[in-house]
Amino acid sequence: MFKKVLIANRGEIALRIHRACKEMGIETVAVHSTADANAMAVRLADESVCIGPPQSKDSYLNIHQILSAATLTGADAIHPGYGFLSENAQFARMVEEHGFTFIGPKPEHIDLMGDKVSAKQTAQKLGLPVIPGSPGAVEDAESGLEMAKDMGFPILIKAASGGGGRGMKVVRHEGEFVEQYKTARSEAKANFGDDTVYMEKYLEKPRHIEIQIFGDKHGNAIHLGERDCSTQRRHQKVIEEAPSPALSEEGRAEIGNLAANMIHEMGYIGAGTIEFLWENGQFFFMEMNTRIQVEHPVTEMLTGIDLIAEQIRVAAGEPLTINKDIIKFRGHAMEVRINAEDPDTFIPSPGEIKTFHAAGGLGVRFDSAAYNGYRIPPYYDSMIGKLIVHGRNREECMARMKRAIHETVVDGVKTTLPLHAWILEQPEFVSGDYNIHWLEKKLAKKNES
Amino acid sequence: MKIDADAIRQLAELLEETGLTEIEVAEGEKMIRVGKGNPAAAAPAHVHAAPNAHAMMPSDPTIPQAASLAAPSQVAANHPGAVTSPMVGTAYMSPEPGASAFISKGSTVKEGDTLVIIEAMKVMNPIKAPKSGTVTQILVENGQPVEFGEVLVVLE
Repeated sequence: MFKKVLIANRGEIALRIHRACKEMGIETVAVHSTADANAMAVRLADESVCIGPPQSKDSYLNIHQILSAATLTGADAIHPGYGFLSENAQFARMVEEHGFTFIGPKPEHIDLMGDKVSAKQTAQKLGLPVIPGSPGAVEDAESGLEMAKDMGFPILIKAASGGGGRGMKVVRHEGEFVEQYKTARSEAKANFGDDTVYMEKYLEKPRHIEIQIFGDKHGNAIHLGERDCSTQRRHQKVIEEAPSPALSEEGRAEIGNLAANMIHEMGYIGAGTIEFLWENGQFFFMEMNTRIQVEHPVTEMLTGIDLIAEQIRVAAGEPLTINKDIIKFRGHAMEVRINAEDPDTFIPSPGEIKTFHAAGGLGVRFDSAAYNGYRIPPYYDSMIGKLIVHGRNREECMARMKRAIHETVVDGVKTTLPLHAWILEQPEFVSGDYNIHWLEKKLAKKNES
Repeated sequence: MKIDADAIRQLAELLEETGLTEIEVAEGEKMIRVGKGNPAAAAPAHVHAAPNAHAMMPSDPTIPQAASLAAPSQVAANHPGAVTSPMVGTAYMSPEPGASAFISKGSTVKEGDTLVIIEAMKVMNPIKAPKSGTVTQILVENGQPVEFGEVLVVLE
């Protein structure tokens, strides 16, 4: 087992990793920018190293500084968290080359899944259903139109170098295809420097359902069930829950096993999440994230398993402590992401948190690096905490979440807590009958009135 | 929070003696304000922490500070003559082992002269004087690990 782990991240996930390390008797090194000198993880870690000025590119994305810090502190392993360098295969390679263990998958798997086209091809080859679409790039409007007619409208034209929900055009009927195709290519060129486009069937009301998977260095591979992350705004997840209100036991088992199988075939190591679009009982592979996710606590609450600790154990060469017989899914869990933003306009609201009180009680968990007097820096994303709640069933979970939201105090900055309170009252959320477009449509109506 | 009852009593008495309606006393992070609402009511007193000059300091002093890679520096990084490290690495005071040091206390240097070398990943990075001046303080030793922003030398 590692003696010392360097945490190459910040905010709540740095604190999360520190907590798992300390419970395992591992010493921690927190690297940080000057803006994060008083961050909670920095204060609690055994050692800290300032690696740069506030800008991410000069600090949290600065591979050389991070490797120097690891060398100077004598760390054994580096945990990249999520975002930043967590899906940077070059970083993973360099970590290993310098004699440290990268707590994550093999660099070649990061590469494979980072390219959205090769990821889809791999998934398809390994038995996962994928969204019907063009086999690769669509070179011209004529062949594109033929493919679209075969697939059936509506279809989506996507920029191969796009991402984060950008560079996509919906085409609803034949007549508008050629013009949309030409526009898509020129916009892709302008926005991403690459006018390569491909096509997929457009799903009207899909849900975003993802499967948590885990592999180890001994060939074991398992799945830990799904999370339904359909409540989104501008392709950013707002609320996540498990189990998904839409899935049956059979559906869950079927897709879980397909996912675990894919991981097993690949020889994938560590934590990962396979994201699907789901519509009318059908799953379609969308992409795979080769890292721990923001919403991992939802699965932890349902299973009682510490996923970060498991990542560390797997990286250290131990076999998975979890297997199909041990994993039990109990009750229902939900997470709301609390951002320092205006709840109506979503304009970021950095500044000082004058009063901070985390909600408590049975089944309530607050993962946050905030504290009384903490100054939220303006240089990074606006998420300041995650409120995660567990209940014996969905109704109890929702009632508990509403209570916990109202008990949480973050005074001095604006937060999205009122938005979450409002979402929990909406009939679509309460019934569980929602899809990835529902929140934006609902917000648009709310703003009109 | 400790309520300094004696201080409040003293201030209340002062209020009475002097006929003032309000007295406010501040010391470090603490401030006490005692005011007279009306002659019949007891003088309300409240104690609260003054806003911190360094807004970055967390309010809870019981959270232990992590052992920073940098030894606590006597010189603030925004001292006008401070030359700080632009990177994480190991400081070396001479061009190679055995050679004499680049500078010593009292040395005069020209803009562009090498003061210290920071080594990282086997690459030597010379840290040059940003202006001409005299070395008044040297805050690192040969072979000492340094972090970004750490004060190496003071040049005046």
